[in-house]
Amino acid sequence: MKSAEKLQGKKAGLSWKVKDWIAGYVFIAPVTIGLMVFYIWPFIQNFWFSFNDVNKFNVTHFIGLDNYRQMLSDKEVFQSFGNTLKYVVVTVPVGLFLSLVIAALLNAKIKGKSIYRTLYFLPSVTMAAAVAMVWKWVFNEKMGILNAVITSFGGPRIGWLTNSKTAIFVIMLVGLWMTVGYNMIILLAGMQGISKTYYEAAAIDGAGSLTQFFKITIPLLTPTIFFVMITSIISAFQVFDVVYMMVLKSNPAYESTQTVVMLFYRQAFDYGYKGYAAAISILIFAVIMLITLIQFSVQKKWVNY
Amino acid sequence: MKKRTEKLLALATLWTMGAALLASCGNKAASGESASGEAKSEGKVALSMAIWDEKQRAMTESLAEAYTKAHPDVSIEVQLTPYKGGEYWTKLEAAATGGKAPDVFWLNVLHTDSYVDGGILADLSDAIAKSDIKDNFPESLVNNYVRDGKNYAVPKDFDTNALWYNKEIFDEAGVSYPTNDMSYEDLVAKAEELKQAGLDESVYPFACPVDFQTWYYQTVFANGGWILSEDKKTSGYEDPKTQGGIQCWIDMIDKELSPSSAALSETSADAMFEGGQLAMTFAGSYMVPEYTSNDNIKDKIDCVELPSFNGIETNCINGLGFAVYEGSKNKEAATEFAIWLSSKEAMDIQGNTGVVISARNESQELFAKSSDKYALAVYTAHTDKAYPLPVCKNAAQLYDMESKALQKAYSGEESLAEACKALKTEADAFLAKNQ
Repeated sequence: MKSAEKLQGKKAGLSWKVKDWIAGYVFIAPVTIGLMVFYIWPFIQNFWFSFNDVNKFNVTHFIGLDNYRQMLSDKEVFQSFGNTLKYVVVTVPVGLFLSLVIAALLNAKIKGKSIYRTLYFLPSVTMAAAVAMVWKWVFNEKMGILNAVITSFGGPRIGWLTNSKTAIFVIMLVGLWMTVGYNMIILLAGMQGISKTYYEAAAIDGAGSLTQFFKITIPLLTPTIFFVMITSIISAFQVFDVVYMMVLKSNPAYESTQTVVMLFYRQAFDYGYKGYAAAISILIFAVIMLITLIQFSVQKKWVNY
Repeated sequence: MKKRTEKLLALATLWTMGAALLASCGNKAASGESASGEAKSEGKVALSMAIWDEKQRAMTESLAEAYTKAHPDVSIEVQLTPYKGGEYWTKLEAAATGGKAPDVFWLNVLHTDSYVDGGILADLSDAIAKSDIKDNFPESLVNNYVRDGKNYAVPKDFDTNALWYNKEIFDEAGVSYPTNDMSYEDLVAKAEELKQAGLDESVYPFACPVDFQTWYYQTVFANGGWILSEDKKTSGYEDPKTQGGIQCWIDMIDKELSPSSAALSETSADAMFEGGQLAMTFAGSYMVPEYTSNDNIKDKIDCVELPSFNGIETNCINGLGFAVYEGSKNKEAATEFAIWLSSKEAMDIQGNTGVVISARNESQELFAKSSDKYALAVYTAHTDKAYPLPVCKNAAQLYDMESKALQKAYSGEESLAEACKALKTEADAFLAKNQ
């Protein structure tokens, strides 16, 4: 009897649980399909390309590990990884520090708070190409405003973007200027999620605002800080547009500023070595993945949930 | 819960159906349009044509117009993609990979080898043999696009170089204008004279950027130097004659007659000349429209022939052609159009605009005639003696290698001999793999 009922139930239509699943899948379908088509499948293809010789017109033939072997003897790969690492090591901590300070200041009760928040966030919503063009002129040796100021004080004219020693710092500065606002907004949101009662209790106990910041804000903000750290390390490793726009191939500082993604782009699209470029991108992926995994295992020691 | 799910499901279904409906509407509209289009003119052939120069867009559109007027069954769409940063080639290669490249497109000598290799260029030998191209075009320009005895493009135009000068700067310094019969030594002397006369701060007599086509290749070849061997297996950077043709420009930087190569990599010689900060510069014929439409300098400038080197005329010649896409659905119509582009009618339309030098013999002079303000005839004065650019497969990579190495010599970081030694090792390894 019971089994007959069950059978009937199945015949009558799908159970609500199944319907629920279907509804769920329908809702995530747009994102999942998008991810599959634009991320997962290209990634698999890219991985396959890295074992092949792929030319300008996508004629492919299998060469096994040759691309990876070539990479190990390519000094440009090491140099561009070195440049990228420099960029990451400087911009991530400095950027985190700056955005934390700015977020703390904008979290306080000051006049014109929303104007400041907008101003700091504005660089993040501006197109990188436009940002790069403006900064390129600021740092131009002959006509740049910076050199105009320096020479008016009797200083020397400096080729900021063409000197291989200074160019990478200019790039870092512009990179920081672009990303600080975005990280600031995330940290600000984290700060506003901290309950006021902690501060009230601390104030009663006689804690000053600095003590409150280090004993309450920072510890309770660690999950947000962790998130910002992960995302900024990933995006710093992939830095491309600003450098590509600001340092042209004819620039003498090209070698000392070329990032790995720039090298990838040049190999793939300027020279048409798409297989080799795919191998480079797999290396970038592996490095980012490794660093992120390390971060996740270390976070248990300092992130408070 | 159940009710809500059902509602949501229904909504989702509705939304999907709506999208499907809209899509089908769009399809209908599109098919309706093409149906009526077909009705108007039976099977109108739609051709697309890719170009990279904004300055030639209007001219190209008038070419398309002239052709479609005579061939009402053809429509032509002109697509512009900038050359800068290799964008044009990147897009073209991606399109060709997807089987959707434009039917007719501009091709330069540098890219011919890899495009022939990639199999995307239609063989135009028969069409060219039947046309009057071989009798009416300089042989070297036709042969630029011949590989293994097959023609892959119709010559469109060519470019050569000239020395431009700013009369105002010369007048203020009280120095006589450059002349057609100058030698390299005269150029240096003139630059020294300008410098001694005292130019404004930030104004230089001349500019020597790390530029092969407009600067050092001409003197390299005039000096008896070479870049690529006949078999394209070795490079000639270590030949002292090659280095002599490069050193002469570095010397001018060392004498402070030119801004440093680093400064020029940021603010190009063209930009400086147009900003009135250079007394003299070299410029390809493709720069003429830009110079002569620049309000800041257009009334103060003129041009003369390039200075000779060791008594030999120096000039590099390069050019473009029209190629037809091998995978084109309308290859025949596209080929016919490409051949028409070489006709006197088309070459005259191009030449009359004065934007480029038409490749057809009888139309070449139109470039000089397009302006009576400037001595543009200097561009076509010695074309028979001009050197073609050395090319090989993946030439762009070789040029990058070369410019990177030479930058070190230009900046004084290394001596030219050192830079060239390292460059030759790198270039020869590249050439060995590039066969």
